[in-house]
Amino acid sequence: MYLEIVTPEKTLFSGEIEKVKLPGSSGSFGLLNRHAPMISSLEAGEIKLTPKEGDVTLFDIKSGVVEVLNNNIIVLATE
Amino acid sequence: MANLKEIRSRITSVKSTRQITSAMKMVAASKLRKAQDAVTRLRPYANKMHEILEHISAAGDVSDTNVFTHVRETKKVLLIIVTSNKGLCGAFNANVVKKGISLIVGEFSAQYKSGNLEILTIGKKAEDILKAKGYKVARNDNDLYNSLTFENAREVANRLMSEYSEGKYDKIMLIYNRFKNAATQDLTVEQFLPIEQSEGNKKIKHDYIFEPSQEEIVNSLIPDSLRTQLFSAVIDSNAAEHGARMTAMHQATDNASDLIKDLTLTYNKARQASITNEILEIVAGANALNG
Repeated sequence: MYLEIVTPEKTLFSGEIEKVKLPGSSGSFGLLNRHAPMISSLEAGEIKLTPKEGDVTLFDIKSGVVEVLNNNIIVLATE
Repeated sequence: MANLKEIRSRITSVKSTRQITSAMKMVAASKLRKAQDAVTRLRPYANKMHEILEHISAAGDVSDTNVFTHVRETKKVLLIIVTSNKGLCGAFNANVVKKGISLIVGEFSAQYKSGNLEILTIGKKAEDILKAKGYKVARNDNDLYNSLTFENAREVANRLMSEYSEGKYDKIMLIYNRFKNAATQDLTVEQFLPIEQSEGNKKIKHDYIFEPSQEEIVNSLIPDSLRTQLFSAVIDSNAAEHGARMTAMHQATDNASDLIKDLTLTYNKARQASITNEILEIVAGANALNG
């Protein structure tokens, strides 16, 4: 599945991933391949993602929102 | 025919002016590239934000519950006029202010006459021009240009939103130059608040899971999109300013070059004339002696 993390000032990450953990405002949650369509707001915390190739990466965010649709994940975040 | 020394000193002064304008042009060009980068970097965020909001509204209308989409009777108006802090950029600032004034005497003349129209400027130039024309500027956020980050624009937007929700204003308009390319700016008037509902083509409805709830997501996304809108207006105007300055300085440099060409021609003609005169005098003198 494809993940994109964008902030108003830059694109933090875009690429194919295995899984991602997000700081949802009603609790932290993880997303795996073929997740159902979903929109959730995010609170301050850490995004932990495992890319298809390469090492686990962490991003700190202040707030945001995530949309999951057709195996595409878009995270709009502020740092 | 003007005297030689005068022409020479004029040529020197025009040459040094040309040096300054061409340096300013290069500075503007490099700042423009930076400002343009900021505009391009914001675009994906703004587009995705718009997309998600559309998807949410396609899943069901919840806009009535939000204070920012609720349209009130337009009693109190705030005009936000975005210009630059510095001059020497052609008609860039004048155009925005002119548009602002045309709104004041046109669409919002009733509110202006009853004292219910306030002006907020972002950029010293608008403040200067408006004050010179006798308009009162209620507030300014000129400092925003000192460090143009999302963080700072967010504060300005937050304040506007809280003032709007408290009922200090019923309508907030945004006037700025949108960056098109280095040579052209699009003068843009946008309604900042209340948010205008786009009669969107309701696309395919996806069956979303909303966490925590559709309403709460909308309520947190709308302020975000407003902050983005304000930030985008200011960085667009910033890029447009540098573009306008680059163009203006380019023209000034060209004009100086033309002027130098003309002056050099006049100088050479004057020099030639004075030499001819001298020779004539010598020849006349020699003839008189021989005669």
